[in-house]
Amino acid sequence: MNFLTSYIHYVGCFALVLIGLYVALVKSNLIKVIIGINLIDTGVNLFLVATGYLGGGTAPIFSKAAEQSQEMVDPVPQALVLTAIVIGVSVLALALALAIKVYDHNGTLDLRKLKGLKW
Amino acid sequence: MVSPILLIAVPLALAFLTPMVGLASKSARRYMPAIAMLFNFIVAMSLLPKALEAPIIVRTAGWAPPLSIHLVAGPLGLLLSSLVALIGLLVAIYGIDYIREGARARYDVLYTLLLVGATGVVLTGDLFNLFVFFEVLCISSYALVAYRGDSAGVEAGMKYLIQGAIGSSLVLIGIGLLYGTVGTLSMADIASSVGSVAGSRLFISLAFMIAGFGVEAAIFPLNAWLPDAHSSAPSSISAVLSGVAIKAGLYAIARVVYTVYGASSILPFLAVLGVVTLLVGEMCAFAQEDIKRLLAFSSIGQMGLILFALALSSATGISGAVFLIISHGLAKALLFLATGYMIYRTGSRDISSLAGMGKRMPIMSLCFTVGAFSLMGLPPFVGFASKFTIVRAVLGTGSTFFITLLAIGLIGTVIEGAYFLRIVQWLYFKPAPEAMPEQTEGRAPLTALVPVGLLAVLIVTIGLLPGIVGRALGPAADDLLDRAAYIQHVMGD
Amino acid sequence: MSAQGILITAFAGAGLSYALGLTSARLREVFAIVVSVLLVCLIAITHGQGAEHVYYPDFLGLDLVLRMDALAWFFAITVSMVGCLSVIFSLHYVRGKEKENFYYFALLLVNAAMLGIVLSGDLLSFFIFWEIMSWAAFLLISYKRGRALDAGLKYVIMSILGSCAMLLALLYLYANYNTLVISDLAQQIRSAAGGFPLWVMLAFALGFGIKCALIPLHTWLPDAHSEAPSPFSAVLSGILIKMGIYGFILVMYGVVGLKLLLEVGAPWLHFHTVLCWLGAITILIPTFIALLQDDAKRLLAWSSIGQIGYIMLAIGVATSLGLAGALFHTLNHAVFKALLFLAVGAVEYKTGGVRDLNRLGGLIRRMPVTFACALIGGLGLIGVPLTSGFVSKWLIYKTLITEGHPFLALAALVGTWGAILYVYKLLHNMFLGQLPEKYANLEAAPFSMQLPLMICGFIIVLFGILPGIPLSVIGGIVGTLGFEPVTATLTGFGPQIGPLNTLNLCAAFAGVLLVIVAFRGIAARPKPVSQDDSYAAGAAAPAGKYHHTVRFYDPLERMTGGYLRDWVDQFYLSAAGKAKGVFNGVRRIYTGDVRTYVMYIVALLTFLIFAHTAGWL
Repeated sequence: MNFLTSYIHYVGCFALVLIGLYVALVKSNLIKVIIGINLIDTGVNLFLVATGYLGGGTAPIFSKAAEQSQEMVDPVPQALVLTAIVIGVSVLALALALAIKVYDHNGTLDLRKLKGLKW
Repeated sequence: MVSPILLIAVPLALAFLTPMVGLASKSARRYMPAIAMLFNFIVAMSLLPKALEAPIIVRTAGWAPPLSIHLVAGPLGLLLSSLVALIGLLVAIYGIDYIREGARARYDVLYTLLLVGATGVVLTGDLFNLFVFFEVLCISSYALVAYRGDSAGVEAGMKYLIQGAIGSSLVLIGIGLLYGTVGTLSMADIASSVGSVAGSRLFISLAFMIAGFGVEAAIFPLNAWLPDAHSSAPSSISAVLSGVAIKAGLYAIARVVYTVYGASSILPFLAVLGVVTLLVGEMCAFAQEDIKRLLAFSSIGQMGLILFALALSSATGISGAVFLIISHGLAKALLFLATGYMIYRTGSRDISSLAGMGKRMPIMSLCFTVGAFSLMGLPPFVGFASKFTIVRAVLGTGSTFFITLLAIGLIGTVIEGAYFLRIVQWLYFKPAPEAMPEQTEGRAPLTALVPVGLLAVLIVTIGLLPGIVGRALGPAADDLLDRAAYIQHVMGD
Repeated sequence: MSAQGILITAFAGAGLSYALGLTSARLREVFAIVVSVLLVCLIAITHGQGAEHVYYPDFLGLDLVLRMDALAWFFAITVSMVGCLSVIFSLHYVRGKEKENFYYFALLLVNAAMLGIVLSGDLLSFFIFWEIMSWAAFLLISYKRGRALDAGLKYVIMSILGSCAMLLALLYLYANYNTLVISDLAQQIRSAAGGFPLWVMLAFALGFGIKCALIPLHTWLPDAHSEAPSPFSAVLSGILIKMGIYGFILVMYGVVGLKLLLEVGAPWLHFHTVLCWLGAITILIPTFIALLQDDAKRLLAWSSIGQIGYIMLAIGVATSLGLAGALFHTLNHAVFKALLFLAVGAVEYKTGGVRDLNRLGGLIRRMPVTFACALIGGLGLIGVPLTSGFVSKWLIYKTLITEGHPFLALAALVGTWGAILYVYKLLHNMFLGQLPEKYANLEAAPFSMQLPLMICGFIIVLFGILPGIPLSVIGGIVGTLGFEPVTATLTGFGPQIGPLNTLNLCAAFAGVLLVIVAFRGIAARPKPVSQDDSYAAGAAAPAGKYHHTVRFYDPLERMTGGYLRDWVDQFYLSAAGKAKGVFNGVRRIYTGDVRTYVMYIVALLTFLIFAHTAGWL
């Protein structure tokens, strides 16, 4: 129990990642798989932010609040997450665009039927 | 002195300028990637001699490492970025006339971005920055694979994207774990503090990164996207994907394993993985009837050999791996490019449609043969010199484990010889079909013959005079092996 | 003229002949012949020179060295001579066919690469030239299309396999002795403590054995020899497979040295003993298989394997006489097998590609010169006195008997009896018997085809009567390889080796000839009758029935045919088939379903973490 409460943010992130992986592995609908990937992405982003999180810390901005407070959260992961979110969004957009194309060509989004290329 | 940062900044700027140039002149736009890569090649080659002495460190925003993102243009990085620029340049020239369908403007932008990504990956000294450039590389290659918009291309692109995206997430998790442990992202800084951290946490982050980068590096069993993507993309894209993109993934693994973690315990496992990749790739290539799919599987095999050589952890082994990266890059680019116009000519990717090609496209066929011989490692082509270096390194380790692995791996070379020489027979010793659909637009223009011919000339020249690149291989190997020197160069005293 | 000059001439000649061929076919032919003859002359004048020099410093950190010594010269002159003859023969053979340019280029390239092999002073250049020879030969074997394609693939796959083994072996030497220059290597190996590792020797033997078609590594040879263009078959059989022999001699005696070699292997079974027995098997089985062949070139191909058996047997015995016999037989086999392949090639050329012994016959009347030369070649192959084959086989028998190997000697003898039978079948079915009607108006082969035959025939007789000419060279080589030198007079051997004097033989033959001539003078003249003029149970038999060449040795085939199949080849082919099945099975892991692929990624990650927690990594 102690582990869960002290590391609840990590547990949450990895739960998200695992849910995403589960969706990507099990669901046969392309859109669902893309959602799964997006879930993984979100989980990872949360995890990155969580690594820099400090209980009671303020935002890493030089302001009045920052001067008063002793602790600041680590700014680097937040910068990373901003970048990662941008990347994630572009991948998502591309994936959805491709999904539309896939549907145009095959008339289905069922991954079990999308086996034109194999072996 | 020019700064290595120009290698990234200038092509990046040119990539985004491309659509604007297109507004002014449609024909000028097609030359933009070639111009960008020509610039890169000249700059990289001019920087290389200096980098061979000591890595050039580029600081951004005036902060000294480890605080800022910095570039480390060492011997390995510059050697590889020269290779990227050279192949990029030749393929860009080829692409001027080769790309006929689809949205031309996007092709030029994405193509340049892909190469910028690859250059960035090999030059950066910051782990997260590595990831960003890696994503630039990956996203542009997803798009390029699907760029023609045909059924196979879209399907391949989509599958590539799903696997690639999951791989990238794993990398990011690995980076997060590592950052949580050591609190820095500069590779040199991590390297200097990794020794003081308990093993298990580090290893898990390393496992995530290997699994993540391994997707792009086409390590077995993470390489299922590669045959689909390489065979469905236009040939010029296949050439850069095979010649450049997958090497970037492998470079990332090597850099992470050697420099960042100094993890020697995982090397035997990587060696085994390399040999398995080699064998699986060659076995799968053997029975292919689709020429591009065959070449793609052969790339997998070669990547396995490179990984195996990288895992030897000896200076000769890594020299051999880098040499094979160069020779495979040249040869595979050549093969895909030569195949491109043969496919235009016959309208089919079947190997059997290549019958009698030696007569119909003599120069392309000759160059194809040179490339195939080089890949098999036959002298006097460059492939021989690189494979020879690797075998010598393995025997030099004197370890029974590695020698046994190599002996198993050499079976892969035999299989490779079988299928490549079968194609050579198809090219030259099978009569062309009587009534063949003669597509006049299949005639190779000068923009195709020149890059293909140049690649063939390079393969023969470097094969005869391996000293040309041999001089840079030793420092490149030290760049990976000598962590202390790397840390010292980047961090200062 | 240095070795370097010779090689530059050879390789530049190959390239230039291609370039010239683009402008004029005639010019190319003349040039190719000039280059080949020039090479023979250049090598001839280097006789007796000994030199070693670096021609390419620092190739990947190694010095590439060329050298000229007695062994190299001996092989070089053989290679250049047979190469030259096959180029001359090719003039008419390929004229008017397609890809002539390519043909000359590849032929000259193979010859140049073989010269490179024998002139190499270090094992790396040896390997490089070896590989160039291998792939160039592959291109030539595939030249005739059709079944030649499969033959070419079979050849090249085995060849690559052998090269891989060889590469491992020679780099093992490099890793341990830090040099690949043969003279340094020999010195270091001999002065190092401990024996020479067996696996390295076996790896070399795999590489060389595949090239020289030692059983059970021979299966590429019958296909390749019979499907290649005939002038190239002559090169293949005459000299290319001898490169394997050269490799064996070089590594066993030139590098490892006699003293260490005798200890390679287990104490109760030495490497060289195994080689002897493999040689004996290689004599016996192919000889009997050759008897059953109906394809003239296939028959000769199997015969080549059998003759390689003699040479390997003689090498394995590891005596001074044995090595001399091996070297002499190498030379002889190069000459008479080249002659026989070229003779078959001439027949094939004139009859429009017929090599089937059941469909030929009686050509003696249309091609007398070809027949005479082929007869000399056949006699040389059998080892009839006054041909050079006699002397080399004599040396081999002699050493087997004096060393106390009765069974090996028996194998060699049986091989000779078999050779008599198959040479008879070959010559009879092609040249004797009844001439099929469609060949009634056949003309003799052009002079450019007859000339090489005559030269070969001349050499066989010359070296048969005056064996001292080659033996003086061979005796020296044997001396440089750490054996007691073999001394020979012009017409035989000195008394310490054994009494052989070809002059006595000459006299005996001349006497017998005189007796025959005398009896012929006394005896009644035979009366020539028509072939149809014979008793056939009251009915005139149709002319076709007199064609006795069909199904030669049929009873023998019925008796032994069931056993004398090429089991090894069948085994390899079925193994290759199985391997193909496995490859196709491996392909199935790429299922086409992207979710499987995602699973692979997760699986690898899980494995890595699991392996770490389990303590494996």
